[in-house]
Amino acid sequence: MSYRRLRNIVLKEWQVVFTDANSALIVTLLPLLIVGQGLLYIWLAYRFGGEDLISSGLIQNALRNLMQAIPSVAELGSQDQLRVLLLSQFSFFLLLVPTMVAISFATFSIVEEKLSGSLEPLLATPVRTGELLLGKALSGSALALIATWLCAGVFVGATVAMGWGGLLHLVLGPAWFISLFLITPAIVVLSFLLGVIGSSRASDAKSAQNGAVLVVLPVFALIAVQVTGVVWFGPLGAAGLALGIAALDVFLLRVAVRLFRRESVVVNWH
Amino acid sequence: MPVIEAHNLSKRFGQRLAVDGLSLDVEEGEVLGFLGPNGAGKTTTIRLLSGIIGPSSGSAVVAGLYPDREPEKLHEVIGLLTESAGFYDRLTARRNLEYFAGFYTGLQVDSQVEKYLKLTGLWERQRDRVGTFSKGMKQRLALARALLHEPRVLFLDEPTAGLDPEAAQEVRQMIKRLGSEGRTIFLSTHNLAEAEYLCRRIAIIRTRLLALDTPGDLRQRLFRRRVVVRLEAVPAALPDIVRRLGFVTGIMQEGNELQVDLTDPDRNRPELVKGIVEAGGRVLEVSEKQHSLEEVYLSLMKEER
Repeated sequence: MSYRRLRNIVLKEWQVVFTDANSALIVTLLPLLIVGQGLLYIWLAYRFGGEDLISSGLIQNALRNLMQAIPSVAELGSQDQLRVLLLSQFSFFLLLVPTMVAISFATFSIVEEKLSGSLEPLLATPVRTGELLLGKALSGSALALIATWLCAGVFVGATVAMGWGGLLHLVLGPAWFISLFLITPAIVVLSFLLGVIGSSRASDAKSAQNGAVLVVLPVFALIAVQVTGVVWFGPLGAAGLALGIAALDVFLLRVAVRLFRRESVVVNWH
Repeated sequence: MPVIEAHNLSKRFGQRLAVDGLSLDVEEGEVLGFLGPNGAGKTTTIRLLSGIIGPSSGSAVVAGLYPDREPEKLHEVIGLLTESAGFYDRLTARRNLEYFAGFYTGLQVDSQVEKYLKLTGLWERQRDRVGTFSKGMKQRLALARALLHEPRVLFLDEPTAGLDPEAAQEVRQMIKRLGSEGRTIFLSTHNLAEAEYLCRRIAIIRTRLLALDTPGDLRQRLFRRRVVVRLEAVPAALPDIVRRLGFVTGIMQEGNELQVDLTDPDRNRPELVKGIVEAGGRVLEVSEKQHSLEEVYLSLMKEER
């Protein structure tokens, strides 16, 4: 692996992304839309759900899980308990950002190379296919991670702005940070690899994204199981989830590396 | 000493045999024309020799390296011009070249990019996005990219395909110049006149190698040498008189021309002219029929069917 070559790939990838309006908006505007949407849902649920929402069996179940994980929540009033519950879902909702950014980046980057016919001349240079894959992964992952962490900052700022800042110490616990610094990178790699695999057979970015975007469904499922109280991801659960995704990453990496061999790229990628 | 060697090189994709037992040598500094119809295995051969894909059987050595075992090392010393130019349209010509140059070891990127932008006549357009370039300009830029690292061996896959005559001529001139600099060039083309103009030897392939020789020797091997005698007029009895000359093996009349096959064209030609003059023929011109490379090519393809 050559640092110089990786740097060359990363800089070119960023340059190509930011000279295209669509892909630049996906990296910049889409994360903000996702965060804005999440905050809006939380506010709407709190504003219009009221006592009816709190007394529902589903929320009661979730609140029991929350109080088991963070006992001090029991000392809060019911309205604040609901706020903490809703805000606690955000770390999972935030996973949509790296998912969408990494998939879009991978599919855009590879389909662009396929459409322009630049892969074959690229593979005729001394670059190794592993360097090419890693360089693309690094450039996409860095953007996805930066976007996610910035969005986390926006979430914290917005929570304070809504006057709920006093509850943040209960929300930003170990599980939140595990989600942000372990699950998010694992999801970034997973999404990127699915983007590469989807792009290997697709002839345009949209059809590549259609297949790869299926990874969004498990992210929604994560939010659903936590809200419905089926499973509550405390610090241990979150760490286990990060490990599980990392294991899946290793498997998908093997598939992607296999697909990204010179011969495979030149002969089978049409 | 050969700089490209292929030994019984074969490539199979599933059930389809794309290249069948190809063996050839290309000498250092030689420009070899690689001809064949669509689907004959030209691009596959170039990919095999340049280490992009591996062979199903057989082996190759290019610039002293095995393409399938050490492709990255090989790519430091060869240049490849692919069928499609393959650039990033939203990046400038200069940035595109800088990116590709960034993968070579110890290359002075700035000076090499400048050298080849100037050499390909694209210096003035270096800051323009490649998406605004014509096909001919993209092809010249692709040639610049293939040359950035001063490769010993150049593989050119259909370098003038789809170009207008003027752009094709510019690219041909560049290849001619590169050949005269002593680079080894493996040129795949459909254009027979181009191959004849640029190449010392021609290889004709249709999955397997059908012929490999200089254009002159290929002609001689496939067609008998035929003497063409142009006359003021052909007297009615003349063809029969000529046919009866002992060294004539065949004769054909086309207007005021007699096309004559001789046992030994170099020795028999003066006697033939003498015989015609004595029979009352007034000779205007004596020449040898030149078979075009196209005729050679078509004849080989016909034989192969």
